[in-house]
This record gives sequence, C-alpha cells and structure tokens, in this order.
Amino acid sequence: MNLNRTFKKTSVTRRTKVWFFILGVLIAFILLISGRKAVTFTSSDKYCNSCHIHPFSDQSWRLSTHYNNKSGNIVHCVECHLPPEGNGYLLSKVKQGLKDVYGFYFKDSAKIEWEKKKLLENARRFVYEKSCIECHQNLFPVTLSVNGGNAHLFYTASKDPINCINCHLNVGHFDKNALLHAHDTNFGVTVTSKEPPFTEPARVTKFESYREMIPGTTVSFDMIAIPGGTYNMGSPDNEPLRNTDEGPVRRVTVSGYWIARTEVTWDEYMAFFRATGSQGRTEGQVVTTRKADAISGATPPWGAPDQGWGKGSRPAITMSWHAANVYCQWLSKVTGKKYRLPTEAEWEYACRGGTQTPYFFEGDPRKFTSEGLLKKLFGSDTVNIASRVVYSGNSPSKTEEPSFVKENSFGLKNMPGNVAEFCSDFYSADYYKTDSIRVNPRGPENGQEHVIRGGSFKSDAKDVRSAARDFTKTKAWLVTDPQMPKSVWWYSDCIDVGFRVVCEPDSAVRQ
Amino acid sequence: MMENIDRRKFLGKAALAGAGIAGAGAFISSCKRKNDNRELGLPPVLKGAPPGKKLRAGLIGAGARGTGAAINFISATQNPGDLEIIGLADVFQDKIDACRERFASFNLPIPAENCFTGFDGYKKLMALPDLDVVILATPPQFRPDHFLEAVITKKHVFMEKPVAVDPVGIRSIITSARKAEAIGLNVVTGTQRRHQEDYIETYRQVRNGAIGTITSAKAFWNQEHVWFREREPGWNDMEYMIRNWNNFCWLCGDHILDTHVHNIDVINWFLGRHPEKAIGYGGRARRVTGDQYDFFSIDFDYGNGLSSHSMCRQIDSCANGTGELIVGTEGYTNCQNTIWDLKGNIRWQFEYPKDENGNQMQSTAIPSYVQEHMHLVYAIRTGNYVNEGEQTALSTLTAIMGRTAAYTGRAVTWDEIFKSDMDLGPSKIEFGPVDMVFDTPVPGTPVITTVMPAYKGQII
Repeated sequence: MNLNRTFKKTSVTRRTKVWFFILGVLIAFILLISGRKAVTFTSSDKYCNSCHIHPFSDQSWRLSTHYNNKSGNIVHCVECHLPPEGNGYLLSKVKQGLKDVYGFYFKDSAKIEWEKKKLLENARRFVYEKSCIECHQNLFPVTLSVNGGNAHLFYTASKDPINCINCHLNVGHFDKNALLHAHDTNFGVTVTSKEPPFTEPARVTKFESYREMIPGTTVSFDMIAIPGGTYNMGSPDNEPLRNTDEGPVRRVTVSGYWIARTEVTWDEYMAFFRATGSQGRTEGQVVTTRKADAISGATPPWGAPDQGWGKGSRPAITMSWHAANVYCQWLSKVTGKKYRLPTEAEWEYACRGGTQTPYFFEGDPRKFTSEGLLKKLFGSDTVNIASRVVYSGNSPSKTEEPSFVKENSFGLKNMPGNVAEFCSDFYSADYYKTDSIRVNPRGPENGQEHVIRGGSFKSDAKDVRSAARDFTKTKAWLVTDPQMPKSVWWYSDCIDVGFRVVCEPDSAVRQ
Repeated sequence: MMENIDRRKFLGKAALAGAGIAGAGAFISSCKRKNDNRELGLPPVLKGAPPGKKLRAGLIGAGARGTGAAINFISATQNPGDLEIIGLADVFQDKIDACRERFASFNLPIPAENCFTGFDGYKKLMALPDLDVVILATPPQFRPDHFLEAVITKKHVFMEKPVAVDPVGIRSIITSARKAEAIGLNVVTGTQRRHQEDYIETYRQVRNGAIGTITSAKAFWNQEHVWFREREPGWNDMEYMIRNWNNFCWLCGDHILDTHVHNIDVINWFLGRHPEKAIGYGGRARRVTGDQYDFFSIDFDYGNGLSSHSMCRQIDSCANGTGELIVGTEGYTNCQNTIWDLKGNIRWQFEYPKDENGNQMQSTAIPSYVQEHMHLVYAIRTGNYVNEGEQTALSTLTAIMGRTAAYTGRAVTWDEIFKSDMDLGPSKIEFGPVDMVFDTPVPGTPVITTVMPAYKGQII
C-alpha cells in the first residue's frame, strides 16, 4: 500500500514536472519572441524620438549623410548610438535605457544642454566606434582623397586611441557650421572695416595703462599697467579641490608689466594672419630666405578655426603655442614694443588682483563645482562666479565676448575661464617644489609642453581657480590634422585655448 | 592578411561541414606544404602560371627594364599565347619603337594604335577596354601616379621596385595598395628575391630556428659604376634628366633605392619588421652627371640592440659584391642558400636542380624575374590573392630613411620619415626648361675657419 502510494505520488510528480517543463518552454518561447519584439520595438527611430524631446536632433539627423544620401540608405538611431549586436548590444541598451528613463522622469528636458552633447569628448560616450566600423568596413575606397588616405593611414597605424568621430563628428547630425578638415584657403581674406586704419602705434612714455593701435589696421586693444609686487604663488594645502602641482606656496616677486585687458581677440589675431599668412610651408620658407627680417606666419587653417561662433571680439582660438609666440614677435615688430606671452608667475599675479583666495571673488570651490553625484542631482551654487567667469556652469560650450563678464580689481577680464591661456613657461608638475628662483621665475629650462592657465568654458569651477595649472597636449591636440607632417600653426583638436599678451616696459619708461 | 582570414574561414567551414567526412583530414594535410607557405607569408613556387582566361597586359615605361619585364610576363605561361602585351606607354617615341621592334621579332606584334607617348600616355593606355594587367616600369618618381590610376581603372598590377622616391609617394603607394586590396586587385612587385626558391627555403630554415635568435645583419650592394648619359644638343632640361634618370635623385631616388633596396627588403623580410632609426653617411667621388652619391653606409637600428649595416657603392675597381648576411645566436646565413653554425661549418644548403646534362645548376630552374609574374598570373587565375604593394613601399621607405640620414647627417626616425612632406622634383612635369637647381647634398654644417686659403708652396 505504502509502496503503491509512493509510486503513485512520484508518478504524479513526474507528470507534473513534465507539464511544468513544457509550460516553461512555452513561456520561455513567448518571452523570447516578445522580448525580441520588445528589443526591436524599443530600437526603432520612432521609439527613440518618442522620448528624446529634442526635435533638432531628429532634424539634423534627417539632413545628415546618414539619412540624406544618394543611396537612399537610412542609418537608424541605434545603429550609431548602440554597439553592434554581439558587442554588448543588450547590456548597453539596458544601461542607456535606465539612463533615459531616469532623465525622462527626473530631469527638465529644457535644462539639458544639447549643444554640449555635440562636443567630441561627450559624443564619444554615446557613439560607438565598433558601430562605425561595422558598416564602414572599407577604410580605403578607391575614391578616397590624398588627405583622406593620409588620415586613414594614420588611423590604422596609430597606437593611441583615435575615434572615427574625431574627424567625422557631424556625419550623423548635420551642422551647417562644421567645416572640419576642408582646407580653408580663403580664411581671413576679406576685410570688412571701412574706418581709416591707424598709421602709428601707441606712444608710451609713462608706466600707465594705454590703448595699443596696430598700424595699418583699425584694430586696437587695452593694455593695463600692473605694478610689480610680491605675492603668494600657488595654493595652500587646505584650499579645497586643489591639485598637488599647485604647491607648495612660494613668495614670488614680479616686476611691473602691462597685460592685455582681454584675451587676444579674433580681430587682433586676424590682423596678424593677414599681414604674415603664408601659402604653405614651402612658400613660407622662400619668404624668409628672401627677406631675412620678414616674419612668416600661419598657413591657412583646415576648417573653421572660430568653430562658426563668430570672430570679432571673441577670443582667438586653435592657434598653436608656436603661432602665439610668432604673433608676439610680429606685434613687437609693428608696434616697436616688447610683447610676449606672460610668464606663469605674471599670469597668476594678474589673475589674483591682490587676492589670496581660491578665486579673485568670494566663494568656495566645493560649492561651485558640479562634479559629484549630489551636485548632479541638486545642482551647484553659481552666485558670484557666474557673472565673472565663463565656465562649464554658465556656458553653452563656446567662447563668450568680453562684455559677458565683470573684471577683476586690476581691470582684467576673463583671466579665469572663457579660454585657457598660454604662458611662456615649460610645464613641470613639481616645479614649485624644486625651484629656488623667487624673483621673476620663468619656469623649467627644458620641457616638452607649456603651461596653460585659467581654464576655459569647458572647465569645471574647480579648474578656474587662480592657482589651477594645466599644460598643452600637443599630440592629442593634433590628432586629426590630416597633414603629414602636422601643422605647426593650428591645433586641429583643441578649441578652448587662446592667449593674452604682456608688454615689458623698456628702460626709458619710469615705473 | 586577407588571404589568411579567408583561409581560416575556409578551414572553419570545412571543419564544420566535414565533421563526418573522413577525407577532409587527408585533404587538409595534403595541402600542408602549401598552407605552410601561406602561414609564413611566402609566395608559391610555381613551374608555370596555371592555365586560364587570356590576360592582356599593357607596359608603362618601355625602356630596358620595362621591355624585360614585359618579356618576363609573357614567359610566365606554359600555354604560349594566353599572356599577351597589347599596348605600350612611354614618354619617348624611340623607346616605344624599340620595344615594339623587340616584340615584333618574337612574332608578337603590338598594334601602333595601342601605343601612347607623352607624360599622360599611361592614362590613355589604361583606358583601353580589354586591358587586364599593367606593368609599371618607369623611373620610380612616376610610380605612385601610375599605380593610383591602375587601381582607379581596376587593373591588376606588376610594378618594379623601388615604388617611389619620397615619403609623399610612399604614402600614396600604401593607400593605393589598400584600395587595391579592398577591391581584389592583385599587386606583385619586382623585389624578386622574395620569389626566389633558394631565398624562400633559407627563410623557412631561419624561421624554424636554424640560426637561433637573430642578433645582427648586414646588407651590401657594391658594384661598378652604372650607366649615365651626357646631355645631347637639342635636349631640354626635362628630356635630359629623364633620359639620364638613373643619375637624378628626384627621378631615381639614388642607388640606395634603385638597387640596394633589394638587400634592404631581404633584411626587413627576415627580421619581420622595419628599422626604427637610421644614422649614416655617404658621398660623391666618381660620378660624372646628376646629383646623387656614389656610396652610402647606413646603420639601420631595429631596436633592442639589433642593427643592420647597409652599404652600397657604385665605383669601379673596388671590393665589390652584393648580398646579405644575418647572424643569430646559433649560426648565420647568407639568406640565399646556406646556413652555417657559429664555427663556420655548413649546416644546411639549398639544393639547386640539375640541368639536362646532370650538372648542378647555380640558380633556380625558373628565373625569379619570371617567377614573380607566374605568381601574379596564378593569383589572378586561382583567386589566391596577393598584394605586395605595402611591403615593398615600407622597404623603399627604409631606403629613403637611410638616404635622408646620409644626405643630412642627422639621425632620422621611422615616424619622422613616414610623416615627412618631402616631395622631390619640379612641381610641374612637362618637357622644357626646369627652373630648379639639383645640388649634391652636403651633410652637417660647414666649418668656420680662420685659416687663410692655401697658396702655392705652403702647407696649411
């Protein structure tokens, strides 16, 4: 009996198991089908556009070569913005999905800065290299140009990471201002001003602020006299969010100098470009041999160095450190004065304007910064800083005209922020620790890269502190230059560095 | 590279399909030797091009080497008539006439309407509708343009070495080679040692460890002076330079490219890489025309302490000879046919075939000049893809790096020369006067001296 029962019981269990198994298979099958359908449905352009409430991205996509092309082939959202299947497609889809759900329910879409997302460093995070390669398998089509060939040779030979969108940033979303990598030989050819040009540079006999006039042009700019003095250069150990290369603090003395009120503007830089521009390296060299004292300037750039933001009084950008130096030589020649890039010590002294605080105005870097999860959720403080600095907290990812900000106590604008500025010093992270020169220090004797100061419109608040240091990154800033060898005049991949000039008083000027 | 992938794909599929087929294993092992060649990147050694569809070739550059290459091409077949030269291009009519006469003497006439002169003759030739193959044999200055046009017009290519004279040309060649690969155009180059069975077998020995780990190398091409032409009345600058092209660097690349590139290519091949840096010197002592050196001595630095000494000279009555030598931890080889141990005992020797009379021959049965054309035809007819464009471009660039080191006296790195914008020659290629001075390069900077110039009778 017992045995029989047990037998019955087990047989029922077995049968149930079989049924459960069949049911399981069925459910799995349905889930698989519907899951597959769900994946397909949630990967359609329509579905993407149902949440992504930024119609211009839909419009710019329709205008781009990935939609509007001869072949009639449409490349869909997920074909670029997710990796190809088999390369972590589902995982990325889930991640992006969760992010999108969060953004949809917890973020104000009007406050999302879409312009910023178009920048290369951001675009890299949601455009997948593998997806580009998945479709574009032949990097050497027969129709490829010489420059294209050079660029793709460089891409395939490069040991450093370099993405397709380094050069092909706007192929998925059309941007009428993007003229990347077209050799712009007409750059700076037209002069629009009708006013009579200056015939004489400014005459300076006293150590006081003056307005420089570039002879032969209508361009002028203000130079502010900065009396010499001694200050604490660098940041103390207790300054919030500092980096170690800013210390130890040293008492440094600088002699008096003039420094430009604003960063060198496009108007100023174009005066130089028009006066000295050369057709190309070879022709440039011919000019120098014929006239020993002639300054041979920049070759025409590739694309639009002003990024389509406009020139005028916006700071000039994308010129190389070398070009900025040649600019100073040229300016010295046409004005008969001694212009040059500031030393790092002069720069910080001018930026501080007598203050010893993190900024030349009141405020705590910890409150201003937007880094960290809490800041991302609740936003950061912008009081004081937003009216004085062009930085990531108030900029639509581009340069601003000087009128955008208030000046510091010396009367200087945009020392921190807007564009980072070249200094004449080589950069060394431990220079403050090792150097013993305390009067007019000029940086290490040798080095590879130069100091840049002040941070830019891309920088977080912590990187626009008066003591914050940074340096040029020559290799990275030329990564997509299609020329071989690369330009010595223009950076192809750096859009937020410019410079400001200083003038050294000559012996005739009494301080 | 493409071949390997295809082969792997094929093997993968074969393995799947043939899971139950006993014959599959036997089939694969019967191909082992062939696959072994592929694995080592070696070309097949053929007795003749396989039969197949008739291939029509055009010759660009109908001088001595061009005419020779065209004859080598038609000699590659075992079925006379299925490889044909149907057209010519050369800047000079007399070169075309001579080449046509040569072919007429074999009873293989080349129709006059398929022969084009002038600097753009190559374009007209490549526009012929039924052309399958082009043979590029002009001075190397023109090769990059010709190669690009061949790829655009979808021709299989045989091209002579060197493939360019400057880095701009080299990058053009590499780009075109990759374009050719993308659309399946076969490319064979005239670095014939790579097609020579004795070299191939020696390479296999070295790869299998016969001399241990390679520690140093030497490459040399020292010979008598080479041909030159003196200027004749009525020749303008351009005509003179092209008729005397072997003596002008912008046309020839200097003899470190023109001839020594063969040895440099062998070293790169055996070492499996190109050098990282070159330091060297050279000079001009005996040459009569042009702007080139007549000797070079270059140290090619392959990194990790491995150097190859490269020397080349074109001067009469000197210790002359050509070849290579590679030394390893367990022996050394001349790369061509013999392996010695470190005490000088012969450990291996390539066995040359015997002639009809049973005598040991001194070279392979099929000349390597013909073997390379067999390879091209084999690749076209069997689909076993070949593209030697990039490898020969890299060896040519190695020679350019050495030349630049000698001309300037500086150390020249690979990165620098690969990216250099050096572009030799006048900007416009046309007959007439050329407004350029072709100075012999002088390395370094001059000595500034206070010593007075010598006058008769005084020793200073």
